[in-house]
Amino acid sequence: MSVYRISEDKWVEYVKELVREYQVYAPIVKTNSTDFEEITPEKIGRINYGGNTASTPLKAFFFPFKENVVVAADKKPRIIIGVPNCDLAALDLLDNIYLGGEFEDLYYKENREQTILFGKDCDSIKDSCHCSAYGLKPYAEKNCDISMSVWDGNFYLVPMSTKGEAFLDKHRINQNETLAALPEKVVQQRAGLVTALQNQNKDIPDEQASRRGIEKENPELWKKHAATCVSCGACSLICPTCHCFLLIDRRDFEKVKNWDACQLPGFSRVAAGEDPLLKLYERLKFRYLCKFVYKPDMFKAIACTGCGRCIDACLGKINKNEVLIEACQGG
Amino acid sequence: MQERNIYKPIKAELIKVIEESPTIKTFVLVPEVEFSFKTGQFIEVTVENVGEAPFTPSSSPLETKQLEITVMKTGYVTEIMHTMQPGQYMGIRGPYGRGYPLEEFYDKEVLILGGGCGFAPIRSLLYNLKAISDKLRKVTFCYGSKTPEECIYKPYIKELRETPKFEVFRSVDKADESWEEKVGVVTVLLDDVKVDIPNSAVVVCGPPIMMKFGTKKLLEMGYPEDKIYLSMEKNMSCGLGKCGHCAMGHYFVCKDGPVFSYNEIKDSPNIWS
Repeated sequence: MSVYRISEDKWVEYVKELVREYQVYAPIVKTNSTDFEEITPEKIGRINYGGNTASTPLKAFFFPFKENVVVAADKKPRIIIGVPNCDLAALDLLDNIYLGGEFEDLYYKENREQTILFGKDCDSIKDSCHCSAYGLKPYAEKNCDISMSVWDGNFYLVPMSTKGEAFLDKHRINQNETLAALPEKVVQQRAGLVTALQNQNKDIPDEQASRRGIEKENPELWKKHAATCVSCGACSLICPTCHCFLLIDRRDFEKVKNWDACQLPGFSRVAAGEDPLLKLYERLKFRYLCKFVYKPDMFKAIACTGCGRCIDACLGKINKNEVLIEACQGG
Repeated sequence: MQERNIYKPIKAELIKVIEESPTIKTFVLVPEVEFSFKTGQFIEVTVENVGEAPFTPSSSPLETKQLEITVMKTGYVTEIMHTMQPGQYMGIRGPYGRGYPLEEFYDKEVLILGGGCGFAPIRSLLYNLKAISDKLRKVTFCYGSKTPEECIYKPYIKELRETPKFEVFRSVDKADESWEEKVGVVTVLLDDVKVDIPNSAVVVCGPPIMMKFGTKKLLEMGYPEDKIYLSMEKNMSCGLGKCGHCAMGHYFVCKDGPVFSYNEIKDSPNIWS
């Protein structure tokens, strides 16, 4: 493994160079949230390299909220800095759905190919963070091009893909500062956060236990938790693995791919009126079945990466982990 | 983009509109490029600036220059469709999904149970079965509609009745003086048909309620679960297994269906709604 070390002041110069050639996005701290913004030289000093999840899931870069999928827009190569592992892990499922099988989504494919992903090490956890419940780590493990760790005023970059290697070859970082491995302090920082996550999430059932709990016939559980659901769809829209969309028709046979959500009324209603997800509590249960039963079986990929966004976003204060803990009670 | 864009429709000229019943019309379309499909597969049909909906073509899959869709006026897109005139254009994408397993029907009797506008996909199947009738023992078609007025494809029924190896039974829920065939829901026709169940397969296509009770009756008659083929209808947007709308348990109906054998889906939730 090659690790490239760069000091903070040199990194700032490096990003200034990148901004000339690429659209660069990174998390910026705002009043009540952290979210991705396009980086200009003036914003470089405001980038949050640690933290945890940004409000917007990574999927929005590859599967935008709204995208014309008949007339292609001109796209500039992009760099996304500061992507947490819960978002990177979601790409297993999204890539499988959009690029796998008989039909490839060329728009998703181009968006993916045009992007260099810098994974990050989370350095804090929010109350809803629970990637560890599903065996994920709070630092980049795969699905990114370069992993980035920050320690003591230095940035440590590790190529994670051939695309990442080619990128670092093209945009050279001071090659004299190449290390054979990450500094022990970075490794310790990572381990410390893993322990903190495990302690925070020790009561959350893992994928298999969750699956067994959800599959039980227990309509009362779903009715109880659906009581405060207002069908806003926020949990699905904000989820890094939710992939559902609706094609909206425009003039000249153009189509716009718009995010859609199974929690919204009418999502599954057919023209004649039948609707398998008519009842709110059945919609809620469907979401959990989709995440822990159907998607893992259909695509062999995890459909919840423990980012916790659905918990933070829920207007009805439905805590997905509390639902799962309850679903798993009673054997 | 050089590769195929799965979301871009092919333009197809509407050359003829046939009024099949007060609520059902057949649209004859000529796509800009030759278009082929397998019977039972579906296409996504776009009405420009309005919307898109899935339909299984009702024409012969052996015809590649033009195709027909038979559409019941039942929602937003189909209401606009029913106002369209020859010379206008629709968009088509596809074909998508898994159609009828014709090879499974070889050396067998084929029983077909259809209801209402479910005759549309069945007509495409019947065209195909006629073309391979030397490989089949017999085709029995039981068709039900609400009223005689709502019985579609009347000239085709006549033609079918004159075709060797094919027999047709019809029923209506509510008869009038002109009606000389059976009265009752379509499953009553099954009491009269003579089929060699161990050597036959059955296809069911129609409204969900008819599919539900039709399947129940067929199971009672002794049809094995894996010999009952159902053409499932779900809300669909992309038709490609990506948009998630047609999720039915472990399946996306668009990609894994729309034709399923009953044993494949019997444990899936809400199959009849």
